[in-house]
Amino acid sequence: MSKLIISGASIGLIAAIFTGCAAYGEGPSMSSYMSDTKGLSEISREAPVPQPAPQVATPICDMTSVNPVLSNECNMHISVIGQGVSPVNTVSPAQAYALAKRAAVADGYRLIAEKVRGVRVDGDDLIKNMMVTRSTIRTSVQAMIRNANVAETTFKEGLCEVEMEVIISRSQFAQ
Amino acid sequence: MRSRNGSYYFSFSICSVVIFLFSSTLLNATDYLISYRYVVKDAALYNETLDISESMKECSGKPTKSLILHSYKNNDLQKIISINSTKFIDFIGTLGLHVKHTESTINTINKSTTILTLKTTCFKVDFNDNFVKISPLK
Repeated sequence: MSKLIISGASIGLIAAIFTGCAAYGEGPSMSSYMSDTKGLSEISREAPVPQPAPQVATPICDMTSVNPVLSNECNMHISVIGQGVSPVNTVSPAQAYALAKRAAVADGYRLIAEKVRGVRVDGDDLIKNMMVTRSTIRTSVQAMIRNANVAETTFKEGLCEVEMEVIISRSQFAQ
Repeated sequence: MRSRNGSYYFSFSICSVVIFLFSSTLLNATDYLISYRYVVKDAALYNETLDISESMKECSGKPTKSLILHSYKNNDLQKIISINSTKFIDFIGTLGLHVKHTESTINTINKSTTILTLKTTCFKVDFNDNFVKISPLK
């Protein structure tokens, strides 16, 4: 009799572990799948949830002015066209396209960074006997770009062009 | 071997087996550390590196926006990402890439180098039968 009680208790413990673990698991556990695949009848039985007030989208700033300024009232839309070429030693047109697109996307990121952060320019000219013997111009830019989208891609005669765009708002920058 | 009350070891072993099976089949979310870097020289792709490593300790943070990729019943994340590389790279572009560009013009000869880097980020990866769900932790 006592063995029966103990075995019953152990089965109960296993069941408790199952339900407890299923409820605890943050990942796609069995309970979460079951809750995801609710039937129509279950959905209709739920209490009506109050809908949040619709958010008014922030308008895009007018970029036609000479020096557009990012303000609280409107977002800024930046669009660039990056260009890239495929390497010489590609084995197929598909590989050439993929590699050229990768290069064009990097160029697009660079152009966005140049527009947002600006470019550092250093120049040196070496003049000997009244003649320029060496002229050097170095430019650099560093930035962190997030949420940039590729809007359009064209590939013609080994040159890939991607149109990239990003929308920036004042709230994204630390005040 | 039995204990004094007769079934303690038995029930303990059953429970531990159940917990092990449960954790290995259903709660198979794993943390992975992923970094990505590619170099473009003179407008052509020069080098591309994608490093994927299983995290040796659990990452902190909450999963944010996620990406679902077809796994084709594969459990190797590196293979899954290499199959869906374009989709994955577009996804990490939305997370934020560090851009470093240098360009030099010496006597009208121009050379440029652009480096795009995704810093090492911890991702929570849920493996399922036909797909994986990859979510960066923040």
